[in-house]
Amino acid sequence: MFSLSSFLDAFWPLTMAARYTLLVSGLGIALGLVIGAFVCVLALSKSRVWRTVAAVWVSYLRGVPMLVQLLVVFFLLPVIGIDVPAIVGAVVTTAIVASAYISEIWRGAIMALPKGQTEAAIAIGMRPRDSWTRIILPQAVALSIPQLINELILLVKASSLVSVVGVMEITRASQAQAGVTFRPLEAYLAAACLYLAINLCLAALGRWLEHRMAV
Amino acid sequence: MVEASSVEIRKVNKYYGQFHALKDIDLTIPPGKVTCLIGPSGSGKSSLLRCINFLEEYDSGEVLIDGQLIGYETPGGRRMAPRRLRQMRSTIGMVFQQFNLWPHMTAQENVAEGLIRVRGMRKPQAMERAAEALTRVGLADRMGNHPSRLSGGQQQRVAIARAVAMDPRLMLFDEPTSALDPELVGEVLNVMKALAAGGMTMVVVTHEMGFAAHVADQVAFLEAGELVGVDVPSRILREPEDPRIQSFLRTYRERNVI
Repeated sequence: MFSLSSFLDAFWPLTMAARYTLLVSGLGIALGLVIGAFVCVLALSKSRVWRTVAAVWVSYLRGVPMLVQLLVVFFLLPVIGIDVPAIVGAVVTTAIVASAYISEIWRGAIMALPKGQTEAAIAIGMRPRDSWTRIILPQAVALSIPQLINELILLVKASSLVSVVGVMEITRASQAQAGVTFRPLEAYLAAACLYLAINLCLAALGRWLEHRMAV
Repeated sequence: MVEASSVEIRKVNKYYGQFHALKDIDLTIPPGKVTCLIGPSGSGKSSLLRCINFLEEYDSGEVLIDGQLIGYETPGGRRMAPRRLRQMRSTIGMVFQQFNLWPHMTAQENVAEGLIRVRGMRKPQAMERAAEALTRVGLADRMGNHPSRLSGGQQQRVAIARAVAMDPRLMLFDEPTSALDPELVGEVLNVMKALAAGGMTMVVVTHEMGFAAHVADQVAFLEAGELVGVDVPSRILREPEDPRIQSFLRTYRERNVI
């Protein structure tokens, strides 16, 4: 029998745990945007060496499951003498995985701009710096918003994976709750509701941003 | 109006890999006059036009704006300093086939952008000047619109205003009406005619033979990267001697019969 009270009771501990879900995915996307910008610059560089560095970065991080990467980082850090809480490793891993996707999103958005956009800036005598900050980036960022929101939603869900290294986020908290109450269905349904609520908010944020930045 | 520039093109060659796109082009563009470049597609007329502001790099020869070499420090020498190249480009207006307006800015912002970033003007003055330039091309009531809210003809007039607001001494037009619906061509050509009447040096790559016949002071015909002939329109368009020009104009006349 489904127990409504167990279901409702699960929300309090899970909501507390949601702070970690938001922390991992929020910090993950924030750092991922910064690192992704750097990787994107490398990928668009004239130098073949930098382009190769970016290509290796992107291929590894996109090509290996995030769960495996989390475990690698978790067991690697102590070996190389870095002693940090599991949450730190989880955030860093999430951020660098996100950076691979984000750099590709931005590279795609920049390449999608017609060549004439830059040519018009060059022809008028603009400095490269101005043509980047005034012409290319504002358009590329606006163009990339739907995909960035998509990436953020994927990250919120992928943050469930950090449960394996002991971070008490929504998924791990729901497992714990199920273990204590012997009511797994209620606990996991509550977790599902929380994830859905977070991601519906993000989707709404995305639509609002898209609308605001529409040209 | 600022003084009009002259352009001197001497023995210019341009290659795309193995393809010889411009072959020993010699052409003098006199100040304050309209020069039309015509010829079949792929003949190199757009490439030649783009060499004039060094948007396209030429491989040998010289392009001189008012006697100053553009792109290189010396003929066949090192590339010129980016700063000086930018300075030269800022006196040469360019209008593109696809307008190339910046879609995230209003018409007025499109025109003001170069004044602010290149001329170092303050925003209020630049916006005021942009408003004047747009009024001159008949778009006083469209200044706050983004390009997506404008017709093709209106977009191209904004693009012309964007170039003209910089006070260029020379204007380059790369098939300015080719992307337009036929009924919108006239409004753009009228703006160009007014510019020409004001004494602007203009180089126009075009398929509008009417414009070439009635507005141009000289017409240059290119084919397969070669400059086949240059003359006043009345001679080159009405009684061309070269068989290549004759055959181009013949197919042109056939296509334009109603």
